[in-house]
Amino acid sequence: MPEGSRGVTRAKDLYRDRFRRAKELKGEGRKILGYICLHAPLEMMTALQIIPFRMLGDIYETPTQVDRFLPRAFCPFVRSVFDLSLKGKYDFLDGMLLVHSCDAMERTGRIWESVVDHHYFHFMDLPTKVCGRHQKFFREGLDDFKKTLEELTGKELSFGELKKAIESHNEQRSLVRSLYEITEKVPPKISGSEILQVIGAITSIPVEEGNKLLREVLAEIRKRKSGKLKGPRILVWGSVLDHPAFVEMIEDLGAHVVIDDLCTGTRGYWADVKLDGDLLSSLAYYYLVELRCPRTFKEAPSDGKRKDYSADLEERFGYLREFTKTWKVDGAILQSVKYCDCHGFEVPQVKDYFNSFGIPSLLLEHNYMIADREILKTRVEAFLEILRGGVE
Amino acid sequence: MGGEEKKKYINRLKSFLPLRTKIDETYKKSIEAIQMGRPVAWAMINAWYGDPILRAMELETVYPENFGAICAAEGVAESYLNRADADGFPSHLCGYARNCFGYVSRMTKELKGEIPPEAPVGGMPKPIFLLSSNIGCDARYKWFQALGRYLDVPVWVLDMPIPGVKELFRDGVYERCIQFIVEELKEFVHFLERILGVKMDWDRLEKTVHDIEEMNRVWFEINELRKAIPCPMHSRDFWSAMPPSLFLAGKPAETLILYKEMWKEVKERVDHKVSSIQTEERFRLLFSELPPWHSLSVFENMAERGWNFVIESWGYHPPPPLDLSGISDPLEHIARFSFHFHTAYFKDALEEGEYYGYMGYPLLKFAREYRCDGAFFHLPLTCRSTSTHQLYLQEKMKQKLKIPSMIVSGDIVDLRLFNPAEVIKRMEVFEESMESYKKLREDRS
Repeated sequence: MPEGSRGVTRAKDLYRDRFRRAKELKGEGRKILGYICLHAPLEMMTALQIIPFRMLGDIYETPTQVDRFLPRAFCPFVRSVFDLSLKGKYDFLDGMLLVHSCDAMERTGRIWESVVDHHYFHFMDLPTKVCGRHQKFFREGLDDFKKTLEELTGKELSFGELKKAIESHNEQRSLVRSLYEITEKVPPKISGSEILQVIGAITSIPVEEGNKLLREVLAEIRKRKSGKLKGPRILVWGSVLDHPAFVEMIEDLGAHVVIDDLCTGTRGYWADVKLDGDLLSSLAYYYLVELRCPRTFKEAPSDGKRKDYSADLEERFGYLREFTKTWKVDGAILQSVKYCDCHGFEVPQVKDYFNSFGIPSLLLEHNYMIADREILKTRVEAFLEILRGGVE
Repeated sequence: MGGEEKKKYINRLKSFLPLRTKIDETYKKSIEAIQMGRPVAWAMINAWYGDPILRAMELETVYPENFGAICAAEGVAESYLNRADADGFPSHLCGYARNCFGYVSRMTKELKGEIPPEAPVGGMPKPIFLLSSNIGCDARYKWFQALGRYLDVPVWVLDMPIPGVKELFRDGVYERCIQFIVEELKEFVHFLERILGVKMDWDRLEKTVHDIEEMNRVWFEINELRKAIPCPMHSRDFWSAMPPSLFLAGKPAETLILYKEMWKEVKERVDHKVSSIQTEERFRLLFSELPPWHSLSVFENMAERGWNFVIESWGYHPPPPLDLSGISDPLEHIARFSFHFHTAYFKDALEEGEYYGYMGYPLLKFAREYRCDGAFFHLPLTCRSTSTHQLYLQEKMKQKLKIPSMIVSGDIVDLRLFNPAEVIKRMEVFEESMESYKKLREDRS
């Protein structure tokens, strides 16, 4: 890692200029592969000395090129990432792995592959259900992916290298969880928007560099003095938030975003990949079963004749109750970009679940772009007022 | 002109009438059976994946997507949509799904399980289970999962592998997908046997599967005949005749006979150069995605100007016939047929460097093979599945085939979003565009 700033400042710098380090490494001859959704098995790339780079959008840049290929009534995040790619901003990548995480990704991926010239492009299907047979099927898909990576690098993916890579990524998961442990305290020593930036930074650099950065960040944060402000403690749920602006808006109004259920937050770090047995099977289990995303169909076990809604909610969202308890959450803000079907269908059920144990929630739909924030602010303000009435 | 019957410019097939009668009879019989208390399943359109099994088990099936279109046409959808909004479902979600949430909310919360009296075609009674799949869109399983708020019935999801175009041709991928689908089907049969308390009649399944394949073979061949100039069969006839193939409305063996009659009539038209429009066929057009069911008369305006709609959305068409004669297991037949539906055009797509192997690329191929002069894209605002590829296709058709297209916004349930007057207004300008591209193509060739 080049010398210069350290800890949180370094993370923020990296986040602000996410391409910089990747381009430096590219200049040194490293291969960089882009991915968008969490379901990309990073360990396999790391094991072959490929740097996985998470492709994000830009809430400040109006999409223009993408209008040639995608309708406007479509996931604005995907539109934004694709737009940046069409404008050549991701030209430094050696290729892309696109995982079938949702319709928007899958369909756009097919267009992407047809219109953007990549040296390497792999589409990886992902089952919808999670049972053993589906894991096995996905494991075979991982094996195909492995072969394409071996073709790309001319190297064989060894058990030892893969194990080492899994250990490094597990360490990263553990370090990120430590970051969230800090926010359990009242008041938290690190803000939700800072965490999003740290995560945004580590997904743009090799895992070992990311781990070093996380250790610096943790050491620095632990030394911070506790703040005095005590505002409502908020959980943010929903679709991708690849920029801290949304969370900053909530925090600027005096609340603390202490925990989240986002694919740019906790979702990628809450469990570890098991290191015993067949490693591809462990990866298949982690990426299909452990990762939380509404794109995957999960349900409570039943007799197959009757469905119990409460049991189903508990099975699917039980972790949210844990989050609420451990992080002493006062209210939940459910946010989703418009046209995200997977999260959109989930919204009333998540609300039902929060209602079942008395946590107030607010739904905010937005169009991803920064200009939307002012409109949302008024609604957040009113929600926080209600919470303050209850917590102070 | 008041009082005079408006002249029809589309030359409808005579053979679609008995077919339509059969479809209506089937719906009627199914409604009567349901009203008599026979168990019913709700299913998503599933590309011949789960339907053959449901038919072989003689389970009455209703399709909430279809019901959504009917509610829209009958003018009751709006109240259901409002109810879905009030229940907290975002308004950008699939219109059919929101219609269904509103309907079920009214049925379960307000009417204690009774079918709402305003519901068209007898409504949809409480099902014994919901058959969903990932085919077509995420909404197809997220929607049924969300129905758990109202219905205490199980959801069965049929998972269909959807590989990438070039990934499909890696060693072993195709056969692995087939084996996976066969296993999915076996589990589905076990589930049905448990829930219905009856065993699968494998002979009946074998016969059903055979009939479906045969029926679709003839249906495919009818559509092949439409490549002729002038085109002998209009999209209006296609849409009227597709339910027996798409939803298995009617008995496939009976449909097969009627489709064979239709093939004869279409062939005769080809032999005698009889067009499906009464005017000169000036322009041959492709129609992409869901038709504006409520405004089909606009096609008469277009036919009057010599626009002939010769081919439609990939999703409504059966795949090219597949030789499955060496396979005895009916589940494997289903697996191969349904998977073939999704991947039949992948090889051609790959050869052309196109990676939208289903939904997108087949339309490029159709436009070329049916010698289209233009494409009409209906862009439904709440259906991501059928709208995602349209701009991309517009670009590709123009770039690769020099075929222009027009996009008209609409929706699957909200009728106000499609404006036939706008279509009529834009026709003249689009004709100029089709003319100039036609000249460009001629010059190039």
